[in-house]
Amino acid sequence: MSGIFATLKRICSERDGRLGLAFTCLILMFALVGPLVSPDPNAIDIKARFAAPGLAHLLGTDNLGRDLLARTSVGTRYALTLAVIIVVISSIIGSLIGIIAGIVGSWIDRAVAAVFDIVNAFPPLILAFALIALYGNGSATFVLLVTVVFIPQFGRMARARAKTLRNLSFIEAERMLAVHPITIVVRHYLPNVAGPIIVLASMNLPVVIAFEASLSFLGFGVQPPKSSLGTLIKDGFISINQSWWPTVAAALVLAIATLGATLLGEALRRVIDPKSTRAR
Amino acid sequence: MTDAISISNAELRFGETAALDGVSLTIPQGTCFGIVGESGSGKTTLMRAVLGLQKLDQGEICVLGNPLVPGRAALKQRASFIQPIFQDPAASLSPRSRISTMMNEVGTVLREPHAALFERLGVILNRLGLPQSVIEKYPHEISGGQARRVAIARALLMKPSILIADEPTAGLDVSVQGDLLNLLQDIRQSDNITLVIISHNLAIVRLIAENAVVMRSGKVVEGGEVGSLFKSPREAYTCELLAAWPSVTRAPALNR
Repeated sequence: MSGIFATLKRICSERDGRLGLAFTCLILMFALVGPLVSPDPNAIDIKARFAAPGLAHLLGTDNLGRDLLARTSVGTRYALTLAVIIVVISSIIGSLIGIIAGIVGSWIDRAVAAVFDIVNAFPPLILAFALIALYGNGSATFVLLVTVVFIPQFGRMARARAKTLRNLSFIEAERMLAVHPITIVVRHYLPNVAGPIIVLASMNLPVVIAFEASLSFLGFGVQPPKSSLGTLIKDGFISINQSWWPTVAAALVLAIATLGATLLGEALRRVIDPKSTRAR
Repeated sequence: MTDAISISNAELRFGETAALDGVSLTIPQGTCFGIVGESGSGKTTLMRAVLGLQKLDQGEICVLGNPLVPGRAALKQRASFIQPIFQDPAASLSPRSRISTMMNEVGTVLREPHAALFERLGVILNRLGLPQSVIEKYPHEISGGQARRVAIARALLMKPSILIADEPTAGLDVSVQGDLLNLLQDIRQSDNITLVIISHNLAIVRLIAENAVVMRSGKVVEGGEVGSLFKSPREAYTCELLAAWPSVTRAPALNR
């Protein structure tokens, strides 16, 4: 616990870290509290369509008179939930595959590296279209597809770290004591791989949020009547001549969410892995 | 009596470089054996091969008559025979584990009850001059000298018959070097352990070892009883090593 507080303190000691933490807290509050204090996000009120931001609707309404504050906060909650689930699953699977490949070496390592390279060779959106064509739309498909896209990133980092650790004296000393290989992985590899993986995970969060918004914008992600930041931007974009606020509201939330997560991820990287800080 | 370690015709290449080039030697049980040579002569590679950390291209290594074979059962057996003290003992302690956690792992391997293990550990720590409180610390919280003793304690906890110390006095000041060598000698004599000292420091090997070999470019160039080896070396390289021994001489008087 003291480690978490110490890390937070160090993040807060720099401007970018404070800004990232503030933006992230703001977005989290918006996603958590927004749906509780705003009306039903799917309630249609034709009489109030394209209502400008005001006291009745803080962020205005869309083309069906639905409250944009409610829809944006629900979309944010959805984007954050998906991003956290995807990053957690892909980091765990990727780390385990990478560590095992790095430790075992030989043809297994080469095969894993080749699979990672093949997955990375596909542009994520093209891979997404292919998987959606195979399995259809939906949250489960989205989680599966983005997890597959992100596993190699975590896997490559864990593999490289495991290969370095494998030849370090303390790992060799454990092997010489005949400590069980699983114990060595859990007790000595994982804690030493965890730092860079946490940093990578925090830096991938905004990428997943933006990726989900992109797919939804293109009509391959969340389907109506559910709301997501991507569909909100798309719907607002169609009717931008009548009202600018639906697009701006969703885009602003997306920008703050990705900017906050990026700044926080960068600050976390500087705290956990100070050696990788580039010269300013 | 079976030899503690026997190596026959060990060969290992790293690309064009011959790290071990037909090394053959035997180390009798219960003795202190020195392996000397300059940096890059293949001493540490030979130690890693004996420990099973480095596969040979050719040749055979037997530890207490058992050839090195892969597999977990063989590794467990080997761990109970032979333990290393690495060149940088601080680096051989897991940086994110308390020392007690590392010692506990020995208990798990030996299937020894926690209380019995820590009772034995207490005796070893006492003997090594370490406070009992050291086990609750992380490696970065102890000094280099303490880390070396902790590494020795962990190795002794495995009750090995053979202890291989790679540059055991590297980075220590002269008084601590003397203490450590005395300690290793005591342990060897009281526990009847075969001690293998790998060092580029001829003085240490001369002080502690009974027999030694001199290595150069992956080959054993000369070997034998330490007294005669250093008193009347047969090989030019051994003479060069002995001649390179630093000595203190009076500086020429300065003209004022």
